[in-house]
Amino acid sequence: MPRREYQSQLEDLRADVVAMSDLVLSRYADALETMATGDLDLARRVVDGDREVNRRYLALEGDCIDLFALQQPVATDLRFVASSFKILTDLERVGDLAANLAEYEGHTGADRYGAVDVLDVADFAGEMVRDAMRAYETGNPTACREVAARDGTLDDRCARAAETVFTDLLGAGAGIADGPSDTSGDADGTAKRDTADGTADRAANDTADVDVDAVTDDATRLLLVLRDVERVGDHAVNVCARTLYATENDTELIY
Amino acid sequence: MSNAQQESTDPSTGREAEQPSTERDIGQPRTERTTERPGTEGDTQTTTAGESTEQLRDEWTDYHFDGPAKLTVEDLSVWYGDEPALRNVSMEIPEHSVTALVGPSGCGKSTFLRSLNRMNDRIKAARIEGSVELDDEELYDPNADVVELRKRVGMVFQSPNPFAKSIRENVSYGPRKHGDVDTGLLARLLGRDDSDEEAALVERSLQRAALWEEVHDRLEDSALGLSGGQQQRLCIARCLAVDPEVILMDEPASALDPIATSKIEDLVEELAQDYTVVIVTHNMQQAARISDQTAVFLTGGRLAEYDETDTIFENPESQRVEDYITGKFG
Repeated sequence: MPRREYQSQLEDLRADVVAMSDLVLSRYADALETMATGDLDLARRVVDGDREVNRRYLALEGDCIDLFALQQPVATDLRFVASSFKILTDLERVGDLAANLAEYEGHTGADRYGAVDVLDVADFAGEMVRDAMRAYETGNPTACREVAARDGTLDDRCARAAETVFTDLLGAGAGIADGPSDTSGDADGTAKRDTADGTADRAANDTADVDVDAVTDDATRLLLVLRDVERVGDHAVNVCARTLYATENDTELIY
Repeated sequence: MSNAQQESTDPSTGREAEQPSTERDIGQPRTERTTERPGTEGDTQTTTAGESTEQLRDEWTDYHFDGPAKLTVEDLSVWYGDEPALRNVSMEIPEHSVTALVGPSGCGKSTFLRSLNRMNDRIKAARIEGSVELDDEELYDPNADVVELRKRVGMVFQSPNPFAKSIRENVSYGPRKHGDVDTGLLARLLGRDDSDEEAALVERSLQRAALWEEVHDRLEDSALGLSGGQQQRLCIARCLAVDPEVILMDEPASALDPIATSKIEDLVEELAQDYTVVIVTHNMQQAARISDQTAVFLTGGRLAEYDETDTIFENPESQRVEDYITGKFG
């Protein structure tokens, strides 16, 4: 087949993007492990390792630019290179999120909220990325749609987990206030402020054993973790959207 | 369709995944996008250039556009002796636009272009069937005036072919021949000298061909002293001087350097505001850059696909068209 060099560059790009996703996903798995174990060394390695992810990201972005400039891809090739270019950004962001999660060094606040299985939700998001990249690797449009459809489930799980945190928080606030739980649950800021305000006046009474700073800190961390996990899922959907465009010229998931 | 089935037909290239999944859903035989190599079967559509077999579909050439069609080609076939050069080509070319004709060598694109102003009439062995209408007039009507036709449909060739005359005479030659300007002795004697008119026509044509600035102070010099790119723009000026409606260009920039090519390309886009331009090119990027719609011809003289240029270059229907524009054969 003519343009053999070009063809092999396209295949190299595909393999390199998949390899980058392997790297990012292993960092993400490490980050989840630090959340579970509080392994500080591992957490440090994940955070430091983000530089390597960024370096690869820029190198592969450069490869895409070279292909555009020197080979002028068209049709499926064009859609593939353009999609890879976009997908690289999503993978780099997943790498950033893994570093974010590792920075908590195990203090995610999950201990206080036993009902929230944050690791399980985070695994679910990681699987979405893994399967989205498999769809990219094999050019499988059916898998793209299937993985993208899982995002609703992930969002629901994150929303439910956040509700659990809020409900607990309100309960704690009520405990501190030693009154009925009459604050409506939709105003998290209000709830937190109420809790904080209550500290000075009432902490000396019957709730002296509740460390309010620790409660709010844990809640905040856990909500941030959930937000990051939800974003990981969004990047998986982006990978699917671009892959579907590359394989079928279908922009259904992009818009 | 099960996932397993899907994945089993998806090689790592992702090539097969591109086929609309509905076709696999209903289990149709895979007549398109097969990848047999030459010589693996007796199909005459398989070529030594590595072109795969594929059943062409009428809807791939069914291009709709707003506005009137300047040229309407129906079921056009051309033979050189017993060899078919063009087979049953139908397409409508919109007015005031650039239509690119691309395809591998021997696909019939130049034959098609030449049949738009009956240049093939000059080849004795050529036989033509079908119809070409310019506006609503049949070009191949036995009573059609070929001279008048070629005035309405101008042509620019691959290598610049100026006459061995002055720059001015190159431009005024056509209008004089057609009797549009007259500067001869008799006309002067009769007081009908069109010299001023001719000078204006020469300037206007050279301006339109983006050559005036470079040659206005040496109009009496021989055209053969111009550079290749200037000669080609002179040929375009010569073509414009007879005020055509359609301009046919056969690889007009293939013999030119990048700067001269850019000038021709800019010119083509500008001309399309007032003229209907049909251009044959081997340069895919040139077709992509300057044309509004692209027609892809494939080996055997068939029109494979005809659509808006961005559709052809981003998402062609035909696998063979895709293979051609990505440089996998041809």
